[in-house]
Amino acid sequence: MKTKIGVYICHCGGNISDYVDVEKVKQAIEKEEGVSLSKTTIFACADSNQKEMVEDIKNNNLEGVVVASCSPKLHQITFRAVTERAGLNKYNYVHANIREQASWAHSDKKTEATEKAIQIVKAAVAKARLATSLNPIKIESKKSVAVIGAGVAGLKSALELANMGVNVHLIERDFFIGGRVAQWDNLCTSNDKGKDIISRLYKEISSKKNIQLYTGAEVISYSGSIGDFHLKLKIQPRFIHNNSNTEKLQKAIDACPVEVPDAFNFNITKRKAIYKNFPGEFPELPVIDIVSCTKCGVCEKICDQIDFSQKEEIIDINIGSVLMATGFDPYMPAEAEFGYQQSDNVITLPQFQRLIANSNNKLSYLNKEIKNIAFIYCVGSRQVEGENKYCSRYCCTTTIHAAIEAKKKFPEINNFHFTRGIRTYGKQEILYRESLLNGDVYLQSYEDDPAQVLIENGKTIVRINDILTKKKEVDIDADLVVLVTGMTPREDNSIGSLFKLPKGRDKFFNEIHMKLRPVETVIDGITIAGACQGPKNVMESINSGLSAAVKSYSYVSKGELELEPIIAVINKDACIWCGKCAAVCPFGAIKMENDGKKDFAIMNNSVCKGCGMCLPVCPTDAIELIAYSNKEIESMIDALL
Amino acid sequence: MSDKMAFDALVIGGGIAGGESALNLANNGYKVLIVEKELSIGGKMILLSKVFPTLDCAACITTPKISEIARHPLITIYNGSEVLHVNKIAENNFKAKIRKNPRYVIQEDCTGCQLCEQACPVNVPDQYQFNLVGRKAAFIPFNIASPRVAAIDIENCTLCGACERACPTKCIDFSQVPEEFEISIKTVIIATGFDLFDPLKIPRYSYEKSYNVITSMQMERLLAPTRPFHTILRPGDGKMPDKIAYVLCTGSRDTSVGNPICSQICCMYSIKQAQLLMGALPMADITIYYINIRSFGKGFEEFYEQAKGMGVTFVKGKIGKITEIEKGNLQLRYEDINEGVVKEAEHDMVVLSVGVLPNQGVSKMFTEQELKTDPYNFVYQPDLLISPSKTSIDGVFVSGTASGPMDIPDSILSAGAASTEAISYLNSVCP
Repeated sequence: MKTKIGVYICHCGGNISDYVDVEKVKQAIEKEEGVSLSKTTIFACADSNQKEMVEDIKNNNLEGVVVASCSPKLHQITFRAVTERAGLNKYNYVHANIREQASWAHSDKKTEATEKAIQIVKAAVAKARLATSLNPIKIESKKSVAVIGAGVAGLKSALELANMGVNVHLIERDFFIGGRVAQWDNLCTSNDKGKDIISRLYKEISSKKNIQLYTGAEVISYSGSIGDFHLKLKIQPRFIHNNSNTEKLQKAIDACPVEVPDAFNFNITKRKAIYKNFPGEFPELPVIDIVSCTKCGVCEKICDQIDFSQKEEIIDINIGSVLMATGFDPYMPAEAEFGYQQSDNVITLPQFQRLIANSNNKLSYLNKEIKNIAFIYCVGSRQVEGENKYCSRYCCTTTIHAAIEAKKKFPEINNFHFTRGIRTYGKQEILYRESLLNGDVYLQSYEDDPAQVLIENGKTIVRINDILTKKKEVDIDADLVVLVTGMTPREDNSIGSLFKLPKGRDKFFNEIHMKLRPVETVIDGITIAGACQGPKNVMESINSGLSAAVKSYSYVSKGELELEPIIAVINKDACIWCGKCAAVCPFGAIKMENDGKKDFAIMNNSVCKGCGMCLPVCPTDAIELIAYSNKEIESMIDALL
Repeated sequence: MSDKMAFDALVIGGGIAGGESALNLANNGYKVLIVEKELSIGGKMILLSKVFPTLDCAACITTPKISEIARHPLITIYNGSEVLHVNKIAENNFKAKIRKNPRYVIQEDCTGCQLCEQACPVNVPDQYQFNLVGRKAAFIPFNIASPRVAAIDIENCTLCGACERACPTKCIDFSQVPEEFEISIKTVIIATGFDLFDPLKIPRYSYEKSYNVITSMQMERLLAPTRPFHTILRPGDGKMPDKIAYVLCTGSRDTSVGNPICSQICCMYSIKQAQLLMGALPMADITIYYINIRSFGKGFEEFYEQAKGMGVTFVKGKIGKITEIEKGNLQLRYEDINEGVVKEAEHDMVVLSVGVLPNQGVSKMFTEQELKTDPYNFVYQPDLLISPSKTSIDGVFVSGTASGPMDIPDSILSAGAASTEAISYLNSVCP
């Protein structure tokens, strides 16, 4: 039992001391058994106080330390580190939360908040009395990373991980790389072309020996944990051999009798069953869309490199970290949402982008010349009725840029923007100015009174009560209506479900901390990058990809990792193997083993997170959580009562 | 050159972007020098109240990061110092000249007891409280500063010697002189942050003419846990305000003051402050005058909706003129866009949501090579969409708001990008 425990009670600059009488807490705690030092401090986390704590621990030979401050989520690591710097094993540190659990929760009842804070700190002291020194679990970390998704964020992070000296497995579900950026023509605000960006990245990636690219590949299972993940990949065949003759393949493509909607062009054009999305796409080898293919054999006759006998492959890879860059889906408007699918001249922003990229000389859609274009903003974003409450961030600027580019290419067009307030943040504002100077017309409404699309006598009328002109009703006879569709999380979340990645309110993958840890997830070793975490433009996706890369790199760069020793341990003798613990374990850390005498549960120490889920289900009390033993918990309860 | 003067990376600026870049490098084994011109690291973030949209206390989430930076064995920090000059000799070989300005306090010996502060007879405006209150000439920059040690403001010091006499550890040393030295590094990260727009450039907003017109950064201080008055009050007469106006786009989206771009953060910090004020002053009316609300980031739109739900009034209209009327109250003249008429409204306190301007001067550090800037004087990003942190000089990277306005998460992402590119650069040249 410890007799030299130091207790620090934090004011949190008023966050605590405005409601909890910290001096009173200090006086109450001073008398507790084992407490040899107690202090109050304005900011326990401040560097100066940390210094003081180190001195105190050293000078007084403290055996245990308690800080009563905010949530352990914020500062447990901070104070454990302080303890360690003072030469005391960091597991002798116990955190007491008197902010979220006392001062903030009971800001209207100061006396009671103080009482509660005293109890909380007493319980922490009780735990500290029994705390023991522990050593972290050391594991080897594989110096390789799986990057899932070869869009712009995945490509760039794979490239820089390789440059930093890591082996990279770049896994793309599609048969071609480049994701959404490949589908974009001129990009704001640099006017690079999307496919040029992808070509540049692809060329660099193909020159790296330490990047293995898999296309048509999906992760079908995963096991293990940080430092040592095992992934199983299913790789679909292209049905065409490498090093095939390009000319013959082109002839085969031309000859294919099957035509299906071309998803690359958002279905505004058709493609063949053997196809490439655009010339110069990567990988350069076409693919046979086996679902649409009728196996008529025409292509085989032209090109002998076509091989329908190719089978899907299953590959196992072993990596230390996973970087998720799985991107987004464009919002799909519902039927009749702003006239979508009611009139064939109502299209989405991605379709408009492909239309502009693929049109020359004059702008026409479905053989009708386009003069007046109406852009309706915030379709699928900032919804009043629907689920998507968030702003999709990229669409205002992208639309304005697309309108400028369209006007450059087809000067006779008129652009009408039906907005809910333009959000060209930062330097993108310049594009908005440019567009205004171009003569584009901007109209605005609020959420509760959006623009309407009326289809009357073969005309498509867009109507708005324009707040910029005193709510005047304005009608535009539009030849083309472009629905400015936002970003939505991937509809197919199989990869997220596989890794059990938490999602936020907006259904995008959730980071640990929105402000300071935007690319790390609660699953150790898995980082998130690009638009799978939330809407982003190209530059922002690259920044996020590179941030995720440096975090993933730090998990693997040293070849060794230290894990928390606070895990569940199984008493083999007491275990009767009922399997209940294995069934509730969210991490799959518990397996059955047999030593020839009996079946019993064993724990994979590097997978266990110490969540404690297995403890209450065990019928024989055979499981104990290190640092949270029955003895420790009971002593805390005694202190509380 | 001794090992002491050789580092892998020089990070110019110890705000949140510079700090995060330095940590990313140091955590992967690289030796980093941070040069910070202020007396403490932590930049603007450490001085904020709470952050949007999580409403985390800024001090609470910044201080652990700051202390991690400060105590990292591979990170050296020079506070109160300037980078005078950086020259690229070859790839992976830069020389930089640093000036360490004297603090007139022996940092290692100072315990932060503040006795010098109490003894000092000189009172001057406190720059870390944005002049809302005074400080002494011998002073600790602010409560959660890192390092939390005293400094002497020699410009205002009368050399009376009171602090020297009061100091129990005899750490005050007026004999200190500026030190200049040369260091060698292999890569440079520019994280010099931003400046705030000076509202004196818009005289019709009556800043400084009327004490009850303050800037948003002053409001941050009024709301912060280490706030000067422990409550919200009008600087003019100490009255608790009950009708507060926010003037968005003060110095942003405004060619008349030479800044055509949007500052990206003002809408959100104003909405955040409005929410905090509703908590601190439950009876107060808060009105936000705006051109467009730009709540574009993760959770931002929901945060904006939340503010509307709490009762913050949003008025679409740009403020033309602010005039002080009786009792220190202020009359705001604006066009109410929704109604298409010019109106006037009376408020008892006005917060100018000042914009983000480039921290100029960084390009002057590079004389042998040209560090290009963009038309708005932010650091130019020649490969914006593929390598946003690259600058016009290979091996020099930009992190955070030095390249343009951005909020904290975007600064963290940008810092991540800069450090990754820096590590790649270090690997490519010296494997």
